[in-house]
Amino acid sequence: MKIRHEKMNVKILSLAVRSALMAAVALPLGAYADDAADLKRPTNTIEAGSLYSSQNSARFGQYNGLNDEGFYGLGGFDVRGGEGYDDSKDSALRWKLGGSNLGTTSRALDGSLGEQGQWKINLGYDELQHNITNSFQTPQQGDPDGNNFTLPANFGTINSATGQGGTRSLTPAQSSAFQTEQEYVNRKNGSVSTSYTFSPQLSAQFDYNHLDQSGAKLIGTGSQGGINVGRGNILGKAEGNNILMNPTSYTTDNVNAALNWTGEKGHITGGYYGSLFHDDYNSLSWQSAMANGAASGTSNGCVGANCYVNNTMSTAPSNTMHQANLTGGYNFSSNTKVAGGFSYGYNEQNASYAPTNILQANGTSANMMMGGLPASSLNGVVETTHGDLKLTNQSIDDLTLSAGFKFNQRDNSTPSNAYNYYNLAASSLKPGTSAAPNTALYQGVNTPYSNSKTQYEAVAAYRLSKAQNINLTYDHESVKRWCNGVLGGAQCVASPASEEDKISLTYRLKVIEAVNFNAGYTYANRRADTSNFLANAGNYASQAAVSGSAFNAGNFLGYAAYPYVNRDQNLGKAGINWQATEKLDLGVNGRYTYDNYDATLGVQNAHSAGVNVDATYSYAENSSVSAYWNWQNGQRNLSNGASGNGASQTVAATNIWNNQLEDNSNSVGLTTRRGGLLNGNLELIGDLSYALDTSSYSTQVPYATTVPCGNTTQLTCGNVSPISNELISLKFTGNYKVHKNGKLSLTYMYQKLNSNDYFYNGQQFGYTPNSLMPTGLQPQSYTVNVVGLSYNYSF
Amino acid sequence: MSVYAENTAAPVKAPTAKPSDSLDKDSACTKCHDENESKPILAIAQTAHGNKADSRSPSCQSCHGESEKHLSSKNVAPDVIFGAKKGVFTPNGVKDQNTACLTCHEKDQKRTHWQGGAHQVADVACTSCHETHAAHDKVRDKRTQPDVCFTCHKDQRAQVRKFSHHPIAEGKVACSDCHNPHGSAGPKLLVKNTVTETCYTCHAEKRGPYLWEHQPVTEDCTTCHTPHGSNITPLLKSRPPFMCDECHDGPHASKNPVAGAAEGIQGGLTGNPANPSSSYTGRACTNCHSMVHGSNDPAGALLQR
Repeated sequence: MKIRHEKMNVKILSLAVRSALMAAVALPLGAYADDAADLKRPTNTIEAGSLYSSQNSARFGQYNGLNDEGFYGLGGFDVRGGEGYDDSKDSALRWKLGGSNLGTTSRALDGSLGEQGQWKINLGYDELQHNITNSFQTPQQGDPDGNNFTLPANFGTINSATGQGGTRSLTPAQSSAFQTEQEYVNRKNGSVSTSYTFSPQLSAQFDYNHLDQSGAKLIGTGSQGGINVGRGNILGKAEGNNILMNPTSYTTDNVNAALNWTGEKGHITGGYYGSLFHDDYNSLSWQSAMANGAASGTSNGCVGANCYVNNTMSTAPSNTMHQANLTGGYNFSSNTKVAGGFSYGYNEQNASYAPTNILQANGTSANMMMGGLPASSLNGVVETTHGDLKLTNQSIDDLTLSAGFKFNQRDNSTPSNAYNYYNLAASSLKPGTSAAPNTALYQGVNTPYSNSKTQYEAVAAYRLSKAQNINLTYDHESVKRWCNGVLGGAQCVASPASEEDKISLTYRLKVIEAVNFNAGYTYANRRADTSNFLANAGNYASQAAVSGSAFNAGNFLGYAAYPYVNRDQNLGKAGINWQATEKLDLGVNGRYTYDNYDATLGVQNAHSAGVNVDATYSYAENSSVSAYWNWQNGQRNLSNGASGNGASQTVAATNIWNNQLEDNSNSVGLTTRRGGLLNGNLELIGDLSYALDTSSYSTQVPYATTVPCGNTTQLTCGNVSPISNELISLKFTGNYKVHKNGKLSLTYMYQKLNSNDYFYNGQQFGYTPNSLMPTGLQPQSYTVNVVGLSYNYSF
Repeated sequence: MSVYAENTAAPVKAPTAKPSDSLDKDSACTKCHDENESKPILAIAQTAHGNKADSRSPSCQSCHGESEKHLSSKNVAPDVIFGAKKGVFTPNGVKDQNTACLTCHEKDQKRTHWQGGAHQVADVACTSCHETHAAHDKVRDKRTQPDVCFTCHKDQRAQVRKFSHHPIAEGKVACSDCHNPHGSAGPKLLVKNTVTETCYTCHAEKRGPYLWEHQPVTEDCTTCHTPHGSNITPLLKSRPPFMCDECHDGPHASKNPVAGAAEGIQGGLTGNPANPSSSYTGRACTNCHSMVHGSNDPAGALLQR
């Protein structure tokens, strides 16, 4: 009997370390079939081993569970069985049990059992610890996963930018109060999926998924300053920033139930989709050291629990979504078919509001809401409607015609009310000053956004010859935006409507047997209704009279947000693939886009480009070398006004400055696999890759001729140091067959990330803005060596 | 001009009704196509197609055609040859290949929108992604599926490895979690009807509706985010305040040019004690306006609480 060595069916090297190591478990790498029966019978595998990672790094271990230095267990299995694998049995019953990454926080388990064609049950469990950072420091005390944080009673005052007590000069007691918190979110996902076939025509499916998320992510917070509620001057610095642990204590339950009917000419599916999101918290509370002070308004040495303003903010509200779905298709003939669907969804959010009382620095409670709340919760309702219909015809040889229609609507019928509250961004009070406390009210009216999109599409795909194809596509898109029943009747959107036409042409040519060429061009033109740009449109309607800065969403005259203005869009792309020999494949493709926006101010234009070059040389069975190079570049140019607010004030050309945003990406990789060594017992796999991504920002301020870009008191023009991430990765894997059913896998991986990002500058001790609590967050560079050894047994 | 030959055989027959019939028909092929084939032909028995007790399971002829001439002479191609590259025989046209598959697989919810969809129009064959004879069909495994998609979508191959990314390369998120390659009613072959609906499948905390909404969030998450990967966490198109400036230039600090001021003191900024500004450094705008996805705080109209 001939011994056959099965080809390895996965590019292990392109996966991250965890999945790569586990691939040996889950995939039939160890299948060494002796005969036909072996090939037809499922190969079961069990893997056990260990892995060592050399460095603590939340970034390296962001998703792979290897965030800490040390040893990890490697464990996995894939076992299948059932009479359905035996042709001699009249049973279609098959089952499967699988597990992967069992030794890390990225473990997964799954199982299935079913009589194929009649019923099936799938079970799944999946974990993922999303590691965010291990360098975050804070003086805040409390359960890291909780929603209430306090400061040490003796933390003292931080009110000024510099000097003793300022955030750039913390006292020894304050500095010692900082502790490091490891931030991560654990996700545990369980699922059940069942299907049952009542008859060849009728079947049902039910899926349930439960996602549990716990932990915390970092969030910026602005502190309420003191407010005047008739108790005298209550001091505090408004907008004092604390980066806090935002609790993530969520559950999401998704349910999908469907009934399918299939007939000779058509099929239809009716279903229900439900998504229930629950947040255990409705608010986040914290004491702000920047908002402390004494009631007298002169002391800066307040010490004690009552020195801090207790702030609150909301968290993600619990909500539900129920959706009824209907989809189906009908074949008028073998050449003419119609397909379509309809959905109606009801999305509700009525979680109780976050507390509106804050505890002031003098220990008294004050309500941020002047006049109270119009309701204790939102009673928010959004109805979504979807419809689509597509007709295809292939009556004419070599010609496929298609015409379609789509409609999507988000209709928000949430009540609109007035919410009057003390504004966060009011006057800052510092000890020793005589400034008045915050008495400014923000008069807000919530504006529930609604929108609809209607699309028409026509496609013609024609085969010019056996070697040439051409596709022509035309799209028309109509968008409308509005708000239902806004209190006071103010306009809520800057652009209430837009129309867009898009035409695409694609050409494919088989130049010769081994060479395929394709090219395409797309042009789109969007025409936006900008009539509301001069209205009190934008963020939130105000009860105040429309004037001054309320115009144009607070933006300058002529400024337009790029998603809502006239736009021309061009896209060109081309590629060629050449199978040079039976062993050598080569490919090159590229694309270029250019968008032009019709706006006096705002994004003016954008362009992007990309090139991919690939080559694969398969020089023997189970042996190959692959290489790739990818380059991507994108640039956006925008113009902004420095002054000229109001409907009647045009921004003078001499007050316009420009921003240029540029992303550049380069990556190269080399993968090699060599099988059949040592009499077919050894396989070697190597992978080397390098990637460099940079993001650059450049600001030109032509009007500031008297203040050069190098003016260190401003630095409002010139170039920002690029944000760069350079990743070098090297990995070797050796798989050695120690006997017919056993394989040893040895893996070594080196990965180095050089990350430069000015994001962290302003969070360092001694370098913060005067109102920002330092966090000491560090750039996430790392150098990690990983060695793993595992034994894989197949049977 | 091309001279390549193409098999244009008639569509193949539907699967046989009895398992024994299917096995009998298979035996006509497996006499020659046995365990010695370089490709694992017989491993199809491990797949759903090889579960012969299921009366719907196909025989070899269900997909490859009766191939009577091939049975008479191995030098004549079977009626339907799958694949893209020429081997011993030249593959059939994509339409014929796909017809063989769609005979059974067209009439279900997941493939309702195949006809006229992006992949169908681009002449993508089922076998461009699926390996029907292999025991392990890479595209149906979350850990290996992305490599199959990256065969064509090479820009995305680079993007998923960027500094900020979904756990795609780590095998926790698959392309098909968001996209239905067989066609959909949504944009970009998304599994749901809209971008937002698709994202809410996992990020339901962003769904609201919120008391204070941020308009682009209610329309399209990709206004700010690039889901396949970014150099800026979390999957942002660019870094605040520069990103925010693309839609805001009036409200307080967004009217001011920033440039190197974003780098703070370490970037060379000196001067008055108010520098560096919390509006420009670190999280910049989102130091205070952190509730960019919406706020449910009655005192949060400006997305600060």
